Amino acid sequence: MSAQKRISKELAEVTNSPPEGIKISLVDESNVHNWNITMDGPEGSPYAGGKFQLLLVLPTDYPFKPPKMNFKTRIWHPNVTFDEHGSMCIGILKPEAWKPSSKIMSVLAATQNLLVEPVPDDAVETSAAEMFKNDRPKFNKTAAEYTKKYAK
Amino acid sequence: MLKSRQGPLVGEKKSSRAITEEYAKADPIYVAKTAALPQKFSHYRPILGDGNCGWRAAGFSYFETLLRLQNGARLEEELARMTSLNNLLTTVGGFEEWLFEDMVAETTNLLRDLTDLVQSSPQAAEELLRHRFNTHEVSDSIVYHLRLLASSWLKGNPASYQGFIPDGLGVDGYRKDWIEPVNQEIDHLGMTLLIDILLKPIGFAVEIVYLDRSEGSQANSHIFQQEDSNGVPTNPNGPTIHLLYRPSHYDILYKEQVPMQIMDQLARNPQVNRALTRQISVHETPVSMGGYSQLDMTTLLCIPGFGLSSPPQHHGFHSPQYQQQPIEQAFNSSPISASISPISPGASSTTTSSGALPGTFPAQPPSQSSLTSPTIAAPHSAFPPPATQLPIHTNFPPQARPSLVSNPSITSHLPHTSELSSPSSATSSFRPSKYEWEAAADWQEPVVFQTSTFKNSHYNTAHYNNPNFQPEEWTPESEEPPAPRKRSS
Repeated sequence: MSAQKRISKELAEVTNSPPEGIKISLVDESNVHNWNITMDGPEGSPYAGGKFQLLLVLPTDYPFKPPKMNFKTRIWHPNVTFDEHGSMCIGILKPEAWKPSSKIMSVLAATQNLLVEPVPDDAVETSAAEMFKNDRPKFNKTAAEYTKKYAK
Repeated sequence: MLKSRQGPLVGEKKSSRAITEEYAKADPIYVAKTAALPQKFSHYRPILGDGNCGWRAAGFSYFETLLRLQNGARLEEELARMTSLNNLLTTVGGFEEWLFEDMVAETTNLLRDLTDLVQSSPQAAEELLRHRFNTHEVSDSIVYHLRLLASSWLKGNPASYQGFIPDGLGVDGYRKDWIEPVNQEIDHLGMTLLIDILLKPIGFAVEIVYLDRSEGSQANSHIFQQEDSNGVPTNPNGPTIHLLYRPSHYDILYKEQVPMQIMDQLARNPQVNRALTRQISVHETPVSMGGYSQLDMTTLLCIPGFGLSSPPQHHGFHSPQYQQQPIEQAFNSSPISASISPISPGASSTTTSSGALPGTFPAQPPSQSSLTSPTIAAPHSAFPPPATQLPIHTNFPPQARPSLVSNPSITSHLPHTSELSSPSSATSSFRPSKYEWEAAADWQEPVVFQTSTFKNSHYNTAHYNNPNFQPEEWTPESEEPPAPRKRSS
């Protein structure tokens, strides 16, 4: 019960003052646990111009367990698996680091930030990470190409 | 073995012998320590090792102790305090109210529900508490509320704790890495913070018993309680929560079956109890006699120097303690409490006996004073008329005492001075146990501590007015600085 109360409050916050470049809707209006997120590729990143679909799942024991976030849209990024799962590795959502006092708004902001500044040392997509570290222009070009290809 | 990851969050109370059995095949240090545990703590309550055990154990004990006080008003005060602490969370902690209000609500709801039940049905209240703490959602909310409190408290009082923060994390880093992540085990600093914000302000003390591989046949323990600037407990008679710490795990310990406070001292040392009964019986004698006329023998023996049964050093050690105690009393007691200060000699003599133990158990302030209560009654009822003079003894500045005591009109009231001596020298028939004799041998050193007031009084056996006069002897060993006998724990 308290999970739903908390989620409803968070949903209200995000709906009333949505972060720039982010749109939120519920996958199913009767279930507050699954959110559809549409995120614009941030300016100044190779993802600019793209629209990325994400799925945010809030567990039943939220906020004591972290939410899960996946890219539904393919994205070439060191911290997101380049496959149909689009699993994202981000510090704020790691179970050992998750704080019930953080909120979805900050998770969304952190995700946008991750697109601007990948964390190659914490990579799940190693080829992207290698390229990001060793050949930035090539990385940017590749990421932008994939953005054009998938994130339309 | 240490951490059970299955079962209820907060288990049922069990005999603490279960811990002994659990460790029967462990390392000899554990075997010895766990074998000694049931002598001090009759029961324990296992807490699930899910990374929140320390927080949950302390939180559960907080509510349970409030219930034990059987005081609805007290619970209501706590409800008010917890609600007002939301300010700390927002203004100091920097947390947004709408993010934590549901968690705080679980704490306040529980307090409210317990308030309703505590008078009418204490048992139902206890059941409700156990049920709530075993309901994940409620239990985790309360635990996280405690984390937020500790985190905010640290943020607001960085100076007191900064030195204890590991790895140069800084206050914010420590809050982020150690307190606020869910399922992050409590560390020592976290426990200190929690006690400081949750338990100390309402006069609850916490004894943590450390069951680890350190040397010794008994688990070490440490008491956390509110103290004034001189380190004197401000609420020595307050309830005490006992927690058992095993590396990275906490459970709750209980002392039961014997009325709590006496038990406290008993568990530490059965001898104290014996000394206590002895002392009471001495005081009670005059009641049946109806006067002082027949007292002289017993009471004379009570005066340091008259007590033939004990070695001189015995007095040497006790009496300075007596001398010092009233000073403290005189300065600490408010004008109101001064009127009941005849207690203090009785109290000091009890203290002495516990202090006289072979150093294993540092005298614990709360239990000392818990012991005074039985002794109070006797002197008062036994000596109604002289009682009026007792305050003079106790409240006079030490400098004034020798002349006063040597005044014949007052010394004729020998019964009072009976209280000055230690219970172990109270009668000649009382033979100190071998432990006391061992300790007596130990006491040769501390004679160094004697005050000049004592040294120049006839209580000192080295004073020519002392009936047991014995010239001081120079021993080369005594010139050496005395090794610290007691480790303050």
